[in-house]
Amino acid sequence: MKKLILIFLGFYLLTLIQTSFLIHFNFGWQLGVFLILIFVAFINFFESPSKKTGIYSALFAGFFLDIFSTTPLNFFGFWILISIAIASFIKFIFKKHVQVPKGV
Amino acid sequence: MKPSPKFKIGVIVVLLIAVFIILNLTDFSKEIKNLIFLISQPIQKTFWKMGDEISDFFEMVSEMRDLKKENEELKLKIQELTAENVALKERKKENEILRTALELGLQEEFKLEICQVIGKDISSDTILINEGFKDGLTKDLPVITQQKILVGRISEVYKNFSKVQLITQKDTSFDAKILDTEISGLIKGEGNLRLFLDLIPPEKEIKKGDVVITTVLGGIFPRGLLVGEIEKVIKSDIEPWQQAKVKPAFNIEGLETLFIITEF
Repeated sequence: MKKLILIFLGFYLLTLIQTSFLIHFNFGWQLGVFLILIFVAFINFFESPSKKTGIYSALFAGFFLDIFSTTPLNFFGFWILISIAIASFIKFIFKKHVQVPKGV
Repeated sequence: MKPSPKFKIGVIVVLLIAVFIILNLTDFSKEIKNLIFLISQPIQKTFWKMGDEISDFFEMVSEMRDLKKENEELKLKIQELTAENVALKERKKENEILRTALELGLQEEFKLEICQVIGKDISSDTILINEGFKDGLTKDLPVITQQKILVGRISEVYKNFSKVQLITQKDTSFDAKILDTEISGLIKGEGNLRLFLDLIPPEKEIKKGDVVITTVLGGIFPRGLLVGEIEKVIKSDIEPWQQAKVKPAFNIEGLETLFIITEF
């Protein structure tokens, strides 16, 4: 439960940083919603497929993106579906079929 | 009986879809957003201010790097613009002069060639202009200002330049008359920008301030060009003619753009 609250607060903070702080910096391209989605991808990539933290992360990330970002067609839940889709793809498909080489 | 994982996922998916439908069909999503915005406002403000200040700082640092280059570019631009401005002012001046000439009907009366004074030699009463035989000029052509004031005539012609002998030069003489009268005389140059009106019949009444203009006699200059005004009348019992000092109408200091009468 503690872990879930921490993830929830973490993504809340990350979304606020993204929408209020990083928006001022132009790195040649705007990070937009990608920073949060990259975090979701990272968590799911390094997490074991049996654990569910990645999926919860995707749920919270999507939720905050839906709150703070513009959603296509004004559909609340769009980013939740996208982030869960990314998390599921990495956790259940990508990691199952793609073997990452361990050093050279 | 324990539900299977597939069943659990199915329930979750159905619940999510239901939640989304409810949120999108009602205004509940707006309520949620409003509540979260309300809670987040102080944090967002802080982040916004921080981001603004930090980005301003980095912007300033990056701008400072370009400042020297920009400064040099701007200096160059200023020089270019100054040169352009000078050229435009010259054009404007020339335009105004031409307009004045046009208003006076000079173009209708004579065939003119515009020129610029590029040198003055007051001691010998000559000026140098930027037009020569390349521009169709020949010796003895009259030179006037846009106000129809007689300045002199061309004494020497080069390819691109010409020397103009001012009417005040010694050895210059031509026929002139007092405006609105039949009193005529001979204008003589005295040198040093001075003129002298000679051979005025003694019985004729002339006075200070009378305007002297050219006549067609002699055929050197066209008639009606302004020469100057009487400054002092000299009468003498022993001299058979009246004489007068004439103040030239042109101002040597202000001579810049002139007209050469190529045909009259």
